[in-house]
Amino acid sequence: MYLIGNISIYLGIAISLYGIIANLTGLKKKSSKWLESARGAVLSLAFVSSISSFLLLYLLGTSQFQYKYVASYTNESLPMAYKLTAFWAGNAGSLLLWAFLLSIYAAMVVFSKEKKNPMMPYVSSILMVNILFFFTVMALNVNPFEMTDKIPADGKGLNPMLQNPGMILHPVTLYMGYVGLAVPFAFGIAALILKKMDSEWIKLTRRWTLLAWLFLTLGNVIGGWWAYLELGWGGYWAWDPVENASFLPWLTVSAFLHSVMIQERKNMLKTWNVSLIILSYILTLFGTFLVRSGVLTSVHAFGDSNLGTYFLVFMAFMMLFSLYVVMTRYGLIKKESSPIEAYFSKESTFLLNNLILVAAAFAVFWGTMYPLISETFTGTKVNVGAPYFNKVMAPILLVLIVLMGICPLIAWQKAVFEKFMKNILWPLAMGIATAILLFVFGVKGIYAIIGLSATSFMFGTHLLEFARGIGARRKATKENILKAAFKLTVKNQRRYGGYIVHIGIALIAVGVISSHSYSTEILKTVDAGNSIKIGEYTLKFNELTEHMKNGNGVVAADVDVTYKGKDIGKIKPEKIFYETWPEPSTEVAIKTNWSQDLYVVLSSWENKDKVTFMVKVNPFVSWIWMGGIIMVIGTAFALIGGRPASIRYQTNKFAGR
Amino acid sequence: MKKKIFVATFLCFILIPGLTSAFTYNSKEFKHVITQLDMQGHADHDLSTCSIKKIYYDEVVEMLNGGKSEPEIIQSYVDEYGQAALRTPGGGTSGWIAWGMPAAGFGIGTVIVGVWIRKLTLKKAEVNVEAKAGWDSEIEKEIASKTFDEERRKLF
Repeated sequence: MYLIGNISIYLGIAISLYGIIANLTGLKKKSSKWLESARGAVLSLAFVSSISSFLLLYLLGTSQFQYKYVASYTNESLPMAYKLTAFWAGNAGSLLLWAFLLSIYAAMVVFSKEKKNPMMPYVSSILMVNILFFFTVMALNVNPFEMTDKIPADGKGLNPMLQNPGMILHPVTLYMGYVGLAVPFAFGIAALILKKMDSEWIKLTRRWTLLAWLFLTLGNVIGGWWAYLELGWGGYWAWDPVENASFLPWLTVSAFLHSVMIQERKNMLKTWNVSLIILSYILTLFGTFLVRSGVLTSVHAFGDSNLGTYFLVFMAFMMLFSLYVVMTRYGLIKKESSPIEAYFSKESTFLLNNLILVAAAFAVFWGTMYPLISETFTGTKVNVGAPYFNKVMAPILLVLIVLMGICPLIAWQKAVFEKFMKNILWPLAMGIATAILLFVFGVKGIYAIIGLSATSFMFGTHLLEFARGIGARRKATKENILKAAFKLTVKNQRRYGGYIVHIGIALIAVGVISSHSYSTEILKTVDAGNSIKIGEYTLKFNELTEHMKNGNGVVAADVDVTYKGKDIGKIKPEKIFYETWPEPSTEVAIKTNWSQDLYVVLSSWENKDKVTFMVKVNPFVSWIWMGGIIMVIGTAFALIGGRPASIRYQTNKFAGR
Repeated sequence: MKKKIFVATFLCFILIPGLTSAFTYNSKEFKHVITQLDMQGHADHDLSTCSIKKIYYDEVVEMLNGGKSEPEIIQSYVDEYGQAALRTPGGGTSGWIAWGMPAAGFGIGTVIVGVWIRKLTLKKAEVNVEAKAGWDSEIEKEIASKTFDEERRKLF
């Protein structure tokens, strides 16, 4: 096993090196044999990384504690699901996962319908440089198949915080997003190297980019959900440096997904688009550097090795290489760019949208790095925590929401102001009505009211767009509403998929604004039989019980809950005591209804009859998870829609577009 | 004299509970102070499992009950740990840079995008002048118009 594992890693290095050389030789000699061989190398890499990944899974699943990685992150009593997910609990495993996903993606790209595309040798070379890096780091620094000096009787076990279904999904989805961005990056660079300044690379990578964005979205939402359930502080997003690191590429890819539409339709923003995808890719490396370097304090940091240096060097190399390619082709890109028609047009609002998203990314980046910057230049450490980000990001995201409401109503090329005003009337009325209703019902907090009204306006715009589309279709085809709605969305999946995503964002915005502004919290010690009142809820503490679960000691409080005087059942907030972990783990009890969450943490106890609870009522938090699901559905809908890139490109080429 | 003693006793009964009303974790003042403290990076931890956060909580309650005002408590932490005691950048040059940079970045970005759109629009105006004589004949224009209509119909 030891030999197979190590050989697979060294083979990974050798094959990726060979693949790059074969591609370069094939390009130089114009030899299809060499290029074919390089394609074979990509397939072999997928095979080799699969072997090492499945081998590590086998070692974890069968508790082979002679391997350092297995002994560090699992133990005998760990349930099988968590033994296997320990794959990405540490540095070595997560790097192997990265290499595995990347090699699978590379094989899919290289053996796609586009395999004869002249860009492909460059694309596969760039992807193989990435794979080479990961295998090299594993071989030199964090080998997942490293043996222990003395075989322990049992392993150290997995961090209790990672023993949650959210943690099975969150890292994998994020990695799939991170890794997925390497594909459009590789195509972008390949197009620049070949001096192909048309939009072919964008069309070829649209689905890859959307897929990466979908996984980044999913990863962030699941991460928030996990934090809410598992960390026990009652929030879902703490603006931790590593959370920010995954949010940064999400913001820039969001900008990219919007601005490529302009390039596809108008042949504009070429430099901007290629820069955005390079930036997004570099940010994925930056995120990984942050997690592994330990330069910033974070709850997510692995931080016990010098991996950060490797990532810093690789990041610098990729950045300089990309910069060189862009600079040497800059004149050519500029020459082939088309101009904009009017200030008041969809193109302009898309540019504005890009500006806001990039500004948001800059603000997050600045806030994340400022503690380091201030300490380096002034010697004084300054913290930049959640209150800073909330204050800075609130206006930026508010403008973004307003823009999302305005943008669909503005026409391409040149919009007519009178028509725009006519279109905006109903959504605007909806936004104003929301503000009035909130005010009438005694809702306080002017900023929250502004935010919720803006969200309502944005939602109204999208509702109107759907209504108008269905109306127009019904007028033309005489179909019933359902059929018209179905056919309209199916025939324009890209457009309506995007609108569905926006509706998901509106739900998330309602959840975030409400839970930030109207959350209530109480920390109270009660005797058995006594109650705690918070909002419309009454919690009656009955007793504290002790039992064993999966070999761990559990202390649980038995609590009856009533809502508006009506019994809504029992909850059991718990503390779990793991043998292998010094701190007990918190199991939060949550009662959810459509408008709020009752969030209860068993804080401490003096004896069986005297317990302290931390109780929170968080409004509309479930809307955040629902919004996330809708965003994923919308992205998937847009992803499967439209003609395949190859056909679309050929058609456009034939039509001279 | 009896009257004075009676009034003084009465006042004592009214004021003493007010003076001795203890601050707790649920007090508004406590929450206001605690949300500003970084607690050595433990601010977002679960109170029930984080011993450092617990120490900070107890200290702040003790200081409030000891008669210290909110700014005094904050200042005492800043005196001890410097700016790192707080969750957000405070005053001074460093604070100004931290808060001002996103706004400056946004402002500079706006100017760049503004200039960019203007440049692109001007370029289009030049192109439009050349493109005005684009249609060779009315028939060609009509064919193009019919093609657009056909494309539009396809959408439905």
